[in-house]
Amino acid sequence: MSSPTEKALHLLRYLPRVSLNNLSPNPYFKKKTYKVGQYRPREKINKSNRERLRFWPVGYEGGRVPFYLKIPIEEYYKNHKYRRQYPPLTLFQLQLMIDNKAIDPEEPIDLTSLCNTNFYRIDPRFNHFGVHLTDEGCNEFRAKVNIEVQYAREPVIAAIERNGGVITAAYYDINSVIALHRPMDFFQKGEPIPKRMLPTEDAVEYYTDPKNRGYLADPQKVEEERQILAQKYGYKLPDHSRDPIMNIRKDPRQVFFGLEPGWVVNLRDRQILRPTDPDLNQYYRD
Amino acid sequence: MGNVNPKVTPIREVWVESMSSPESQKLSIVPLHPSVFGAFPRVDLIQENHKWQTLYKHIDWKWLPTRNELPGTTRKPWPQKGTGRARAKGVRAPQWKNGGWVVGPRGPRTYFYILPFPKRVKGLISMLSAKLAQDDLKVVDTLDSIPTDNSEYMEELCSARGWGPSVLFVDTSDLFPRNISLATHPIQHINLMPVYGLNVFSMLKHETLVLTLDAVQEIETKLLFQLRRTDLWDVMSKIKSSKTLRM
Repeated sequence: MSSPTEKALHLLRYLPRVSLNNLSPNPYFKKKTYKVGQYRPREKINKSNRERLRFWPVGYEGGRVPFYLKIPIEEYYKNHKYRRQYPPLTLFQLQLMIDNKAIDPEEPIDLTSLCNTNFYRIDPRFNHFGVHLTDEGCNEFRAKVNIEVQYAREPVIAAIERNGGVITAAYYDINSVIALHRPMDFFQKGEPIPKRMLPTEDAVEYYTDPKNRGYLADPQKVEEERQILAQKYGYKLPDHSRDPIMNIRKDPRQVFFGLEPGWVVNLRDRQILRPTDPDLNQYYRD
Repeated sequence: MGNVNPKVTPIREVWVESMSSPESQKLSIVPLHPSVFGAFPRVDLIQENHKWQTLYKHIDWKWLPTRNELPGTTRKPWPQKGTGRARAKGVRAPQWKNGGWVVGPRGPRTYFYILPFPKRVKGLISMLSAKLAQDDLKVVDTLDSIPTDNSEYMEELCSARGWGPSVLFVDTSDLFPRNISLATHPIQHINLMPVYGLNVFSMLKHETLVLTLDAVQEIETKLLFQLRRTDLWDVMSKIKSSKTLRM
């Protein structure tokens, strides 16, 4: 008799049979009941200082937030609706997904692979621009993966490269994220695959920095930084030159692996349509 | 049944009985999955499922007419002043004896709603667990082995085994063998049901639930799939869009 389930099932043996005459609703559910006079919205019943020609309290500024309450300003959430968000995914969760075969480490991992597992979800409507890989579980992380994230810090990069993997930080604009996180829903729309936009001004520095393994950084400098990080954390860096999986990277304008911007995927007829107009092709290739 | 610790979750086993004679003959023992047959019995979810099953088909036909829907003219019955009676504007005003209802029930009203999918799954699981815990779940090898199509045989069988007044037989296919179909047809409280028709209301209504071995396998497979799936968001989003059905 150890778990609540066992206790409950044992208790049922001594109680009457669960039957049509034994049912009662959940007593903890709040029922919205209107009392007499409460259904309609409250009319104005109280007069303010203005209506009674009184003096306002000291510091009152006509209704706006007064100085003595406003200072100091703690703008933790200022403009939060307009800022990019990257819901976190821990290395521990990633390892768990790989161990449970929700993700195949033999193929490159990007946001689509992570969202397809259904264990990690993002919602572009809430300004989620991608995945932020965190270092919780970096000691337990053992998989060799080619992973593309949107934000990752130094310990995470070290943990992945130590196991022989490759990590890239890549930027996707919101339309590309919408396409990427639910590819089947996007293909059903019948829209051409969007051209991935370059990072915004505040993000350019991050994605061109080889220390962050940015996708716009110089590959030679990235290689140098890999060596430096290996020395800093004290592991031996394996050679990737012959491993085809570890060398797969997306083009800066590419959203999906194997598909180019401008193409239309026709799920019904199982076809991929490419634009023939040279101007369109020029636009999508730039 | 991989990740089950028998010290915490004792393995549930039931006898597999035969139907070839009124007295029960125990053939073998079969284990039942604890996630389906040994889960916490959420009696509040059982009640919600029962309420949903009865209420979603309910239509309230009450309709009371307003003053303009009743027969009668819009003529002012008597002049405003001088008669000594209360002032009146129309014969069907709400304060009048046969007058119209101002805000009465208006026509067929539907109580349709779809209970969220996880609640329905948990309701089935709670009911099955409660049935097993209260010794009302019986497992039978097959329903083919009933020798006669005599309904008295079925009554004798149920009384000999102590199966409750009403019994529900569940098998995988919706075409049952000849003998049991003819035997149970005149008896209103012994019913046959395929696995796809298994529901909380029927399990509440019938005291004893008798499953065949194939039915046990199918129920376990289906319910375990529903418990472990990760795309319930997609399932529920389709149901939410159908929620705004009005008559």
